[in-house]
Amino acid sequence: MKKVVAYALLIVFSLLFIAPLFWAVTTALKSQQELYLFPPKWIPSVWKFSNFAEAWNIQPFNLFLKNTLLVTVLSTLGQLISCTLVAYGFARFQFKGRDFLFLVVLATMMIPWEVTMIPQYMEFNYLGWINTLKPLIVPSWFGSAYYIFLLRQFIMTLPRELDEAATIDGASKMTVLLRIIVPLMGPSLILVSVFQFMGCWNDYLGPLIFLNDQTKYTLTLGLSQFKGMYGVDMQSIMAITCLISIPPLAIFFFAQRYIVGGIATTGIKG
Amino acid sequence: MKKRISLIVLATTLMASMLSACGGNDENAGTANQESGSSNQTKTLRFATWDTGDALKIEQDIAKNFETEHPGTKVQVEAYADGFDQKLAAGFGAGNPPDVMYMWDFPTYHQSLEPLDSFADKDQELKIDDFYKGLFNYGKIDDKLYGIPAGFTTRVVYYNKKLFDAAGVPYPKDGWQWSEFQDIAKKLTDKSKKQYGFGARAENDTYDLQGFVWSNGGSFISPDGKTIEGYMNSKETAEAIQMFGDMVKNGSAVLTGGKGQQSGDDIFKGGKIAMWESGIWPLESFKQAGIDVGTVEIPAFPDKPVKGVLAESALSIAKDSKQKDLAWEFVKYYVSNESIKMRVADLPVRQSVVNELKKDQDPLYKPYYSMLERSDNTPAFLLNPKWNEVNRQLSAAVEAVMHGSNAQEVLDQAVKDSQRYLK
Amino acid sequence: MAQTYLQNTSEQTAALKALKKRRWGGAAPYLFIFPWIFGFVVFTLGPLLFSLVISFFDWPIVGKVTFIGIDNYVEMFSNDPLFWKSLFVTLKFAALFVPLNIVVALGLAMLLNQKVKGSAIFRTAFYLLCHLRRGACMIWSWVYSGDYGILNYFLSVLGIQGPDWLNDTNWSLVAMVVASLWGQGSMMLIFLAGLKGIPKDLYESASIDGAGKVRQFLSVTIPMITPTILFNLITSIIAAFQQLTLALLLTGGGPLKSTYFYAMYMYENAFKYYKMGYSAANAWFMFLIVLTLTFLVFKSSEAWVFYEGEMKKNPQKKLKASRRGRS
Repeated sequence: MKKVVAYALLIVFSLLFIAPLFWAVTTALKSQQELYLFPPKWIPSVWKFSNFAEAWNIQPFNLFLKNTLLVTVLSTLGQLISCTLVAYGFARFQFKGRDFLFLVVLATMMIPWEVTMIPQYMEFNYLGWINTLKPLIVPSWFGSAYYIFLLRQFIMTLPRELDEAATIDGASKMTVLLRIIVPLMGPSLILVSVFQFMGCWNDYLGPLIFLNDQTKYTLTLGLSQFKGMYGVDMQSIMAITCLISIPPLAIFFFAQRYIVGGIATTGIKG
Repeated sequence: MKKRISLIVLATTLMASMLSACGGNDENAGTANQESGSSNQTKTLRFATWDTGDALKIEQDIAKNFETEHPGTKVQVEAYADGFDQKLAAGFGAGNPPDVMYMWDFPTYHQSLEPLDSFADKDQELKIDDFYKGLFNYGKIDDKLYGIPAGFTTRVVYYNKKLFDAAGVPYPKDGWQWSEFQDIAKKLTDKSKKQYGFGARAENDTYDLQGFVWSNGGSFISPDGKTIEGYMNSKETAEAIQMFGDMVKNGSAVLTGGKGQQSGDDIFKGGKIAMWESGIWPLESFKQAGIDVGTVEIPAFPDKPVKGVLAESALSIAKDSKQKDLAWEFVKYYVSNESIKMRVADLPVRQSVVNELKKDQDPLYKPYYSMLERSDNTPAFLLNPKWNEVNRQLSAAVEAVMHGSNAQEVLDQAVKDSQRYLK
Repeated sequence: MAQTYLQNTSEQTAALKALKKRRWGGAAPYLFIFPWIFGFVVFTLGPLLFSLVISFFDWPIVGKVTFIGIDNYVEMFSNDPLFWKSLFVTLKFAALFVPLNIVVALGLAMLLNQKVKGSAIFRTAFYLLCHLRRGACMIWSWVYSGDYGILNYFLSVLGIQGPDWLNDTNWSLVAMVVASLWGQGSMMLIFLAGLKGIPKDLYESASIDGAGKVRQFLSVTIPMITPTILFNLITSIIAAFQQLTLALLLTGGGPLKSTYFYAMYMYENAFKYYKMGYSAANAWFMFLIVLTLTFLVFKSSEAWVFYEGEMKKNPQKKLKASRRGRS
C-alpha cells in the first residue's frame, strides 16, 4: 500500500516536471502554423524533424559544442581538484583566522555580479584574456565558494577516527586526504562534478561578457542568437534547447546512482 | 617535512596543468587583441550587432563581402543579441569597445562615440541626399552627427484579414479614425473564442506611444526639452493613453505580456487578435505563421493630423577605435545600395533603393512610408539628457493605466515625481 | 556511528582533547586553502574593492567619473521609492521562497529516497528542469499566460477560471516563487545525498526502541541532515536575494513592480540607466544584508547543526535523550 502511494506521487511529480520539456520538444517539432494555436496542440500534425537540423545549422553549432566541451571539462576538473583541497583545509584543521576566512568564502557567494562584472572585465582585458576561453576556465582552478562549502559540509560528517588512525600510522596530511577522505567523498565529488558541469554548460552571462568572436562562442550564446531585441524564433530556441540538454541529462542519468549510492561511512563503521 | 614537499609538488603540478590546459586554447585564441598594428597582419574590425537569426546571417554575409573587397581585413561580427546593453557597458567601461556598432540610444552613448560629420561631409560616396530626409536627425546630439542611419521603421496597424472576413467587417483604410478603430475592436472581440479586437501591451515602451500622443496634439515634454508640467500630464496626452486603458477595461483589447511572456506578436500569430500595432519587425514572422495580414496607417483623432514615431537603427564608430578610417569604410559599405538590398528585414534608408524595388508601391509596405512622412516630431529622449529618469516615472504611470488607473491622475503624479530630475 | 552513538561521554572528551592538538597543522592548512586565497585575491578582491570605491562616485559608464561622497547612499535611503519597494518585494519573496524551497526539496528527496523500481528515471525527471533554466524561462511564459497558457487550459478543463498569472499583481509573485522552486533540483539532490548518508542502523535501533515514522524523522533524519540543511538554508537565502533571471526574462519586474526584485533594481540601475556608482552602492547594501543574515544563521548553527566529525555534544544528547525517552 505504501509503495502504491509512493509510486503514485513519484509519477505525478515526474509528469509535472516532464510536461514543460515535452512541450519544448513538441514546439520544436511543430510547423510555424501550429505553433501559436489555442487550445494548444500537444501532438504536432506533421513532425518536422528538419527543424532540429535547420536550427543547428543556422549558426556553427558544432564549433559552439566544441568550445562548450572544452570549457566545461576543464573547469569541472579544476573545481574538483581545488575545492577538494580547500574544503579539506577548512574541514579538518584548526588555524588562525579559519572561521573568518570561511565567512569570507561564504561572503563571496553573495557578491552581486552586476557590480563586479565591469571591473572583472577590465582585469581580464588587462591580462589580454577577453575573447578567449580563459576567463571561463582559469578561475575554476581556484575553487568556488559553493562547492567548497558543500564539500566542507560533507567532509565534516565523516568520522574523524579514520584519518586520526591513519595519522598515527604516519601518513601525511596529503595521504590522508587522497587515501582516506577522497574515497569516502565519492558521492559528493560526483555531485560537484554534475553541478559544475551543468552550471558551466548552461552559463550564459560569463560567455556573453567575455567572448566577442563567434568562433569562441559557447552553446548558450549560440542559443541566444535566436532571441533578439525584436523577435524570438521559438522553434529554433526549443529545438536547440532540447538538443543541448541531451549531454547533461545523459551524464546525470549515469551519475545519479553514484550520488545516491550512499556515503560509505556505514560500510566502514557498521 | 616530507608532507610539506608533497604539498608543494602537488600545488605546482596543479598550476602547471592548469596553465598548459589554458595554453591549449591559446592557439585558437587568435585575434583576441588587435593591438598588434603590424602592417602585414590582417586587420580585424569588430562590428557589434543586436540582430539575431536571419538578420544576423545577412549581416555576416555583408561582412564577408566587405572582406573580399578589402583584402587583409577581417570583420568580426559580434552578435550580442539581447545582451547588447551589458556588452556595450562592459566594453565602454573597460575601454575595449567594438569599432563599429549598431546604435539608437545616442543621448546615453554619444560621449563615447566618434563624431562623424567630418567623414560624412568629406566623403562623396556616401551620397547623403539619397537618404530619407529626417533620418539623420535621430543620430544628432548638439548638432554633431554620431550615427549613419542603417535601418528604420515606422509603426502601423496590422490586421488579420481572415478575422475581418469572418465577422463581415470591411478592412480598415488609411485615414481612419480612432473611433472606428474602437468600434471594429469591439465587433471583432469574441470572448468565447478568446479572440480580441486589439492587444494592448501591459508594459509599453513610452517611446512608441509618442505617435498617439502627438496625433492628439499632446506631447511628453516641451519642444525646448525643459518642461514636462502641462505636457506629460496635459489633457491630450492623458486622453491618448486612457483610450488604451479603456479598451482593456471594456474587454475589446487583451493585455499582452511583457518582455519574455507570450507577446502580442505571438497571439497575433495564433490568430487570436484582429489588430496589432507595431513596427516592421514581426511582419515576416506573421507571414510565416500563415496569417493573411494587412497593414494600415495609424488612425487619427477627430480633426487632427496623424503623427508617427520613427525607430531608427544607425551605425556608430567608437571614439576608442584605433582604426577609424577602416571603420568608416565599413559603415559606408553597410549603407551602400548593394548592402541595403541584402538587408531585407530592414526598410531601406535610401530613396534610390526604394524606387528601384518599388517598395512604396507594395500595399503591404506603403503604410510604413506614408507614416514616415508623418514622423517629423522630435522624440522626448533627444530633448532632455535626464529623460531616462523621467521616463522611469512615466513608464510606471502608463503601466498603471493599463491596469485600470486613471491616466490623468497617475500622469499628474508622475510629473510631480519627475520634477527633481529636471532641475 | 553506531558505536559513537553508544559511547561514553567522558571517554569521548578525553579523545577529543588528544585529537585537538593534532588538528593544529602548522602551515599545512594554509597550503590546502591556498588555491582559494590566491583566486580570491586575484579574481575577486580587486573587483570587489573597485565596486566599493565607485559606490562613492557618479559613473555613467560613458562620460565623466565624479566623486560625490556618500550621495549615492543618501539618495538610496531618502529619495528613491524604488529602493524600498524592491527591497520589500525581495524580502517577501525570500520569506516565501526560502522555507518552501527547503521543505519542497526535502520532501522530494525523501520521496526519491524510497526503494522503488525505476528510481533512476524518476530522479532524472525530477532534475530535468533545473538545468534548463534559460530555456525554462521561455517555457514558463507559455505555462502562465492568462488566456492562452497551459496552466489555465488545464484549470479550465477542471472548470476553474485561472487568473492571468503574470499580469495580476495578486498572483505574479506567487507564480515567480513556484517557477523558482521548479528550478531547484540541485538542492533536492544535495538532500538526497545527505539522506542516503544516514546509517541504516540508526533507524533500526530507533525502531527497536519503538519509535514511529514521525519520531524517527524528527530524532534521526533531521539531526543527521542538519549540515545539509545549513548548506541549503544559506544558499537559499543567497539565491532569493540574487533572484534576477526569472524576473528579467519573464515579467520585467511587473506588473506594477510586483516582481521588481532588488537584484532587478540593481541591474536596471547598472545596465538600463547606466548609473554604475549608484548600482554599486545598491549592491553593497544588499551584500551587507545577506552577509548579516548568513552570519546569524552560521552562528546559530553551532546550536543546531550536528557534525559527526566534530562530535558536537548537543545533538548527541538529543539523540540519547530521545532514545531514553523511548525506552
